[in-house]
Amino acid sequence: MEKNTALAASTMTPKPQPTGLRLFLKRLVQQRMLVLMSVPFVVWLFIFKYVPVWGWTIAFQDYQPALPFKDQKWVGFHHFDALFSEDRFLIALRNTLAMSGINLVLGFVTAITLALLLNEVRKVAFKRVVQTVSYLPHFISWVVAAGIIQTTLAPDGIINELLKWFGAIDKGQEYLFLGKAEWFWGIFGASSVWKDVGWNTIVYLAAITSIDPAQYEAAEMDGAGRLRRMWYITLPGIRPVIIVLLIMNIGYLLESGFEPQYLLGNGMNVDYSENIDIFVLKYGLQQFNFPLATAAGMFKTVVSFVLLFSANHLAKRMGQDRLF
Amino acid sequence: MAKKLLVAGMAAVMAMSAVACSNGNNNGSNASPSDAGASPSASESAPASESAPASEAPKDKVTFTFFNGVAGEKDLNTNETTIGKLLEDQTGVNFKIEHLVGDLNTKVGTMIASNTYPDVMIPDAAIEEVLKAGAFIPLDDLIEQYGPNIKRVYGPYFERMRADYGGKIYFLPFGPQVGDYMPDPNINQGAFWVQRRVLKEAGYPQIKTLDEYVKLVEDFVAKHPDEDLTGMVSLTHDWRFFATSNPPMHLAGFPNDGNVMVDVNTLDAKTYAGSDETKRWLKTLNDLNAKGLFDKSSFVDNYDQYIAKLTSHKVVGFFDYGWQIGNAQNVLKDAARKDQTQDDFVYFPLPVTFDGTKDQYLDPPGWTSNRGAGITKSAKDPARIIQYWDNLLKEENQVLKSWGIKGETYEVDDKGRFYRTAEQIAKLDDAFNEKFGFKTYDWDWPQYGTSSTLSDGNALAPGYQPEVFQMSLTEGDKTILEKYGVKTYAEMFDTPEDRPWFPAWSIPKEQGSPQQIWETKKDDLTKKYFPKLVLAKPAEFEGIWAEYQKEFGKLDTAGYETWYKEQIQKVVEVAK
Repeated sequence: MEKNTALAASTMTPKPQPTGLRLFLKRLVQQRMLVLMSVPFVVWLFIFKYVPVWGWTIAFQDYQPALPFKDQKWVGFHHFDALFSEDRFLIALRNTLAMSGINLVLGFVTAITLALLLNEVRKVAFKRVVQTVSYLPHFISWVVAAGIIQTTLAPDGIINELLKWFGAIDKGQEYLFLGKAEWFWGIFGASSVWKDVGWNTIVYLAAITSIDPAQYEAAEMDGAGRLRRMWYITLPGIRPVIIVLLIMNIGYLLESGFEPQYLLGNGMNVDYSENIDIFVLKYGLQQFNFPLATAAGMFKTVVSFVLLFSANHLAKRMGQDRLF
Repeated sequence: MAKKLLVAGMAAVMAMSAVACSNGNNNGSNASPSDAGASPSASESAPASESAPASEAPKDKVTFTFFNGVAGEKDLNTNETTIGKLLEDQTGVNFKIEHLVGDLNTKVGTMIASNTYPDVMIPDAAIEEVLKAGAFIPLDDLIEQYGPNIKRVYGPYFERMRADYGGKIYFLPFGPQVGDYMPDPNINQGAFWVQRRVLKEAGYPQIKTLDEYVKLVEDFVAKHPDEDLTGMVSLTHDWRFFATSNPPMHLAGFPNDGNVMVDVNTLDAKTYAGSDETKRWLKTLNDLNAKGLFDKSSFVDNYDQYIAKLTSHKVVGFFDYGWQIGNAQNVLKDAARKDQTQDDFVYFPLPVTFDGTKDQYLDPPGWTSNRGAGITKSAKDPARIIQYWDNLLKEENQVLKSWGIKGETYEVDDKGRFYRTAEQIAKLDDAFNEKFGFKTYDWDWPQYGTSSTLSDGNALAPGYQPEVFQMSLTEGDKTILEKYGVKTYAEMFDTPEDRPWFPAWSIPKEQGSPQQIWETKKDDLTKKYFPKLVLAKPAEFEGIWAEYQKEFGKLDTAGYETWYKEQIQKVVEVAK
């Protein structure tokens, strides 16, 4: 029966395949359920992600909130000029890139390492405990986390006490960790790892479960030890996930977060803690300088866009899996 | 089948979200004045006040919306409070008060962008924006028509209010002085504070100069090496940084004019952020730090941590403004009230200056010209609002809003003096004040300034009335005041000189003006360099100071000072 229909199909004169718009409409009807389901999300995306782009016009105006659009004064690229000639913005840009970079590298390395190690743990109870403990900090809000970090690093905090106990420093010489500007990036990196490492492993652990156990058995037969199995089976197995996440994260390189820097920052470490988001808040919004804030936001978006596409392109060139 | 179900589910979700959206919109528009004339029925229940100015008799009940740009209090209808109810009976007007939640500029910005406002608004720090957007209506004609009491109370300031904002009155600031000046017996303003036990142990010495004060703190810590004491802390968190940067001004003998010290005779306004006064103050802190007497964490702690330290009994002294340490001081005082021995840890204010001569810590009669309540262009019936304000400014209602009801919250003796019994004072806790409306009407309305005097000689503010103040003292309070030979804390300090421009920081500055930019940049610089200077090794202090001077020199300080002098001259001219 099946053979017959196949035969019939092949012997019939081929119907002209619909192309272009017709093909599109045909597919649309065929997949109407899927399309219908995606409509709310497209509408959401349009309203919240595309309509606000209209506000970019503010960056080119001498914007007065009370005036209607037609009465605004247009000033061209004046605010961009102001932005890029502002020393503080350049410092903020440097800090943003540095902290994102630290976050990216540390975040990936620690999360993947922890996922690999957890995968090798055979005792289920122990594994569960480690996993839960490691991702608990993720659920603490930054306000609370910052409080914990401040207390830990205070002159009478546990770290200074430990250093004294080991005899590394004398009483009265306690470090004011958050007061050392150049240490801020390190403190930020360490806090971010502490807070997010467990959470970030979840996706890798999920990817690892999809690796065919037969591969491990075969490798074991061939005499591969644990490290070799990790290197030759687990890592290549989760490579697509790693690359997709990497590309996405590179797109977020100018988003180094706001809360940790805002909450842990103070006058002494401002040269290393102030990132673009804080700059926008301080010099844009808090002073009602909306055009400057918008200009900085536009700059961020455009750069992120370029970064995302370059990373994706690079992955394609290297023959790796990619985002789109 | 499953698919169909899924689709139906999706459709339901979408429909629901659509409904939710439109609901949201409706709420948004309802919040605006549309529900004002909601209950026009009860007109007969509002009797006209007997002494009402020539106005049309009984009135419909109306509700106006009222936005207060200061966070932290409960939203309510004024007629839910006892005072508000009485005022509603007189005028038929109720206010629905909404307080700020979140960021002021965002909230006000949204109002401006959508061009819809509550009927009455206190934009607090965002007032320049609101005025620039043309949101407030000019009140001159309304006051002329409906405001005999407004004229009586605000009359002396009209010219200045007009001069500040281009010839018209757009809002009523709070606190015009009426009658004689009645000083605050408590110290709500700046002072150098020290634990009472320190003074007790030292035999209640007169502490007048910074050197004496520092020595007092040093000696005490040296005598108690086992207690793990902190000599001094300083508040630096966020916008409260001025608690660390303002002392040089006070130490030099000036009141809190903000960024300038104003000479009373020449009216010269001098900034002090980069002056020798500041250098001397920071050097003092630097020395304390070198001796291990200054708490390093001062520069990283937030406000809550600071308050927690003040209540820990470990901090010997600090500089701050009374209103900022209220929370800590109240905790300590409550403890002392329960247990006399705890009185040692309550902080006592001292008038400390560089040279120990004349101090000017107490506020002179002030006029904060850039804060106030205005009527917006969205208001349906501005006349009713003005009439309500005018009615509130009648002396009997000023007594009502600050003293309450005779026999309930205050008594009058045979000489006509107001006082409160011990039971009444005990009754007036936070919950009662809220229910009664003392809290709602405490500030934020056109009203007499706190230091005003009523026409019969009583103080407007119960807390300022000597009879009431005496009642509030604990044994410990009485002892220490007696040792210093004073009746009130304020008597420790010199009388304030007359400064019509006070406080100079309230002279309006436009957004984005050179003055504002100067202030922002100065703040950035001081926040960066002051910690460095204080925590530096003493040998490095001079070098860092020179570096700071170089950076500070880049600002147009001369321009800022000239601008201030001109503004102050204008105010003095108008005040004459």
